[in-house]
Amino acid sequence: MRAYVVSRLAQTALVVFLSLTAVFAMVRLSGDPVLLFMPMDIQAKDVNEFRQRLGFNDPMPVQYARFLAGAVRGDFGDSLRYRQDAMGLVLERLPATLLLAGTSLLLTFAVAVPLGVLSAVRRDGLLDHVATISTVLGQATPGFWLGLMLIYFFSVQLRWLPTGGMGGVAHLVMPTIVLAAFYAARVARLTRSAVLEVLGEDYILTARAKGLGEGRVIGKHTLRNSAIPIVTLAGLEAGQVLGGAVITETIFAWPGLGRLTVQALLNRDFPVVLAAVFFISLMYTVINLVVDLVYGWLDPRVHLR
Amino acid sequence: MKKWLGIGLTLTALLAAFAASWLSPHDPLRTDFPQSLKPPGVAGHLLGTDQLGRDLFARILHGARLALFIGGCTVILTAVVGGSLGLVAGFVERWPSAVLMRIADVQLSFPFILLAMTINAIVGLGLRNIILSLSAAGWVVYARVVRGEVLSVKQRDYVHAAAALGMSRTRLMVRHVLPNVAPSIIVVASLQFSSFIVAEAAISFLGFGIQPPTPAWGSMLSESRDFVYVAWWLAAFPGAALALTALGVNLLGDWLRDTMDPKLRV
Repeated sequence: MRAYVVSRLAQTALVVFLSLTAVFAMVRLSGDPVLLFMPMDIQAKDVNEFRQRLGFNDPMPVQYARFLAGAVRGDFGDSLRYRQDAMGLVLERLPATLLLAGTSLLLTFAVAVPLGVLSAVRRDGLLDHVATISTVLGQATPGFWLGLMLIYFFSVQLRWLPTGGMGGVAHLVMPTIVLAAFYAARVARLTRSAVLEVLGEDYILTARAKGLGEGRVIGKHTLRNSAIPIVTLAGLEAGQVLGGAVITETIFAWPGLGRLTVQALLNRDFPVVLAAVFFISLMYTVINLVVDLVYGWLDPRVHLR
Repeated sequence: MKKWLGIGLTLTALLAAFAASWLSPHDPLRTDFPQSLKPPGVAGHLLGTDQLGRDLFARILHGARLALFIGGCTVILTAVVGGSLGLVAGFVERWPSAVLMRIADVQLSFPFILLAMTINAIVGLGLRNIILSLSAAGWVVYARVVRGEVLSVKQRDYVHAAAALGMSRTRLMVRHVLPNVAPSIIVVASLQFSSFIVAEAAISFLGFGIQPPTPAWGSMLSESRDFVYVAWWLAAFPGAALALTALGVNLLGDWLRDTMDPKLRV
């Protein structure tokens, strides 16, 4: 077990290092950020001075080494726009994103898992059909369109909820629903198929045959055994929620990491892009590591090597 | 039901795309300021007009053409590139396989939409670049699925038999392994198609990708945000077109998976 954790950590470190390199390469391939950031009427001499000061005139390996040395300490340079530490900006926006991701995941699991279990247990019942239709629709509906429609109904027509920004609980409602909708649909579908698979196993038949109540058959024998695919997906989805946050935060002007990333990309504020993309991929990788470790705990048959 | 709804919606989208020029009563780019922001049904505009008086129905039809074109190109590009890389990596197990899987790990450590958007912001805007950036972010799925399939197919007896008869490795790969992994490639492609369409719309919505005035569903939705108080139809119809297209292709993909390769999880 310990050997496994160590080797997984080493792998994770390698992936993080490679993704850092990839991010650096991508950003540097895109041309000169200085020119894009300067006013139109600037003199060539000033551009050069600015470039010199920011270190863009050094050879690429030197820039790369400096970038890595900084990145290890969490230093990605200052934002070109806000003249403020880029990683600091990212960390400042992090709590807002974590709050939104947390409420969305909570909503997803509070709704999707019971829905999936119920529609599997009462297969082909009314609830199952309703659930199937709504999950198929939920998966096909793009989040940003759902967001616009919710804004139209609840903010413009009914005037119940604010269109965007961060504040009280009312501000959280629509972003949470939009971010949760897509994942809830996937989780519900997967829960249903995982539970159905387990319900066909012999040990369920045995449990029923020995006279266990339906509550215990489902609660104890079925759920525990169908938990593995659900946890796997949950982990993968928890990462994708970070991607979904990019769009959701932009629609609802939610001051989180996703919106910061979009704005930094639009402004070509590369230190912030580097810091944000790196931070998101780090979180994503760590979540996947945790999911892998949870397997072993959930299913003793899985030998972690 | 699933099958027919899927086929029906997909065919409708295809029809809209191919016949956009004949079906639309107006030019999608022609502005007409006196007729701006008219609700659906007014003055011969079936779905109303936008802030510049352009016909929304015509723009949605032409948007279908663009969306399906981008989705189609991306699916073909990723299937060919990712599929052949996966085929080679599964067949030649030594270093190509390890290198490819590390690259895949790195790519999978970014959320898909963020990766595609970042690549797009860097390579630049426009039709060709959105196809390239979606492909660059999306090929990994094929590479992984195909490699896994190849690893299992090449252990089958008929492959060993053909190898024992002295068939060359290339021929073995093309004649015996490829046909047997083709169903998974087709299933992955059909399931990826709708996510590419939605991702393109999302990227254009965020201000990258396809730019106005080109009628793309994503940028139309983005423009509609300024008129949410006065013109609900600008947000409702392009989004519905996008959602129904995604739904149709999804259902079709599900059905293909159920019939061709029920065990595949994507």
